[in-house]
Amino acid sequence: MPTTFFGWVGYLLDQYGSLFLRGTGTTLLIAIVGTILGFLLGLLVAIVRSIELDPRASGFKRALLKVAQAILGVYIEVFRGTPMIVQATVIFYGAQQVFNIRMPQMFAAIFVISINTGAYMAEIIRGGIISIDKGQTEAAHSIGLTHWQTMVSVVLPQAIRNIMPSIGNEFVINIKDSSVLNVISVTELFFQGKSAAGTYYRYFEAYFIVAVIYLCLTFTVTRILRFIERKMDGPDSYTVLGSTNDSHANFTVRKEG
Amino acid sequence: MEHVIEVNHLRKSFGSHEVLKDVHFTADKGEVTCIIGASGSGKSTLLRCINLLEIPDGGEVLFHGENIQSGKFSLPQYHARVGMVFQQFNLFNNLTVLKNCMLGQMKVLGRSAQESEQNAMRFLEKVGMAQYIHAKPKQLSGGQKQRVAIARALAMDPEVLLFDEPTSALDPEMVGEVLSVMQDLARTGLTMLVVTHEMGFAREVAHDVVFMDDGVITERGAPEQVLLHPQTPRLKEFLAKVL
Repeated sequence: MPTTFFGWVGYLLDQYGSLFLRGTGTTLLIAIVGTILGFLLGLLVAIVRSIELDPRASGFKRALLKVAQAILGVYIEVFRGTPMIVQATVIFYGAQQVFNIRMPQMFAAIFVISINTGAYMAEIIRGGIISIDKGQTEAAHSIGLTHWQTMVSVVLPQAIRNIMPSIGNEFVINIKDSSVLNVISVTELFFQGKSAAGTYYRYFEAYFIVAVIYLCLTFTVTRILRFIERKMDGPDSYTVLGSTNDSHANFTVRKEG
Repeated sequence: MEHVIEVNHLRKSFGSHEVLKDVHFTADKGEVTCIIGASGSGKSTLLRCINLLEIPDGGEVLFHGENIQSGKFSLPQYHARVGMVFQQFNLFNNLTVLKNCMLGQMKVLGRSAQESEQNAMRFLEKVGMAQYIHAKPKQLSGGQKQRVAIARALAMDPEVLLFDEPTSALDPEMVGEVLSVMQDLARTGLTMLVVTHEMGFAREVAHDVVFMDDGVITERGAPEQVLLHPQTPRLKEFLAKVL
């Protein structure tokens, strides 16, 4: 048996390397799928919550929209106002006891993370939509684009670019907070660390490994997101085609700063 | 002669402030009408009501005799035929110059990408911006942006263009380039409604000058008549300040 701290770290890695690796994979999978689904859910919620009806719309349409918006408001309040660990247990065990449905752990994990993320994303995206200058929408309407076309072609591309840092935040939070899903026995990284720790009672070493893996994940993901942001900004330069003297001359102008 | 745009009894309030009080107004085909008046007199609001960016509280706006607020009237089609140029340009920041001029053609008029591009290029050349088709709005000067905005509006082949103080947000040295584009347009027989503080432009280009004061149109006529022989004390006062 090893006698030093790093001896034990090495020993646990050797014994449970594949366990940690599988846990890491599960954590990443839950975080990625949960963030993407949560984003799409949030997008839908934010769009519905930002609809302004044509004043000619009928009373029925108006009432329907009001009801839908109220329900979405409640959804956001409930899922932002309760801890995810509680949501996970209520949904997982609730489904089992009340409806007699036994959800597969993975399904439950992604379900919980998605609707939890969706509630936060809805508010982030709504903020992004509001932050876009009203003139953009007015210009789109003035050439005849509908609300939906304006959203898809003009407002959302700018809004999503602006909220990329917040979306990245949510992703990083999901990598870390998916650890609470160990309460419903999802075999993510923290759960696997717990298993590895229990065998030899080496809690410090096992959780140290877990901590380092989490840090590596979040560090890498943050860098990747920065890269994506820069890609979204497009090239800093553009080419001016032709000049007043020579129509074949091209030159490139670089953005200042 | 049939009026392209006719405004009857138009009223609009923001809260308790009545901005438009019973405005009557017509614009005929191929005419350039300049709307002048002090800030807060309701000029921009009138233009925005015509384009339904503001919903009027009362009265009606007729386009070729048809009420634009009636249920069966297609607003996207109306917007395609009545374009607008804004004080703050409002180019789509996420799109290049070329894409700015293509978006409406493809989405609203259902034109192909190729046809939209050709048409966009035609108008970008007209406003002298064909060299900058790959630039993003934030890379352009104010005058360049406004010229692109004019090309974007023209690319929809509109019957009427509304200009809402198109040169007010520009540095002085860029005002000329935009005005000269507008002057060229006026000669093509496009119907134009121009809210402006450029009295020189109004005098040279407009067929009709309209003076708005406190939510109503108080004087209207040929530029020489309105600008050189004002009837009301308010217009005299206004002209004394701006000329």
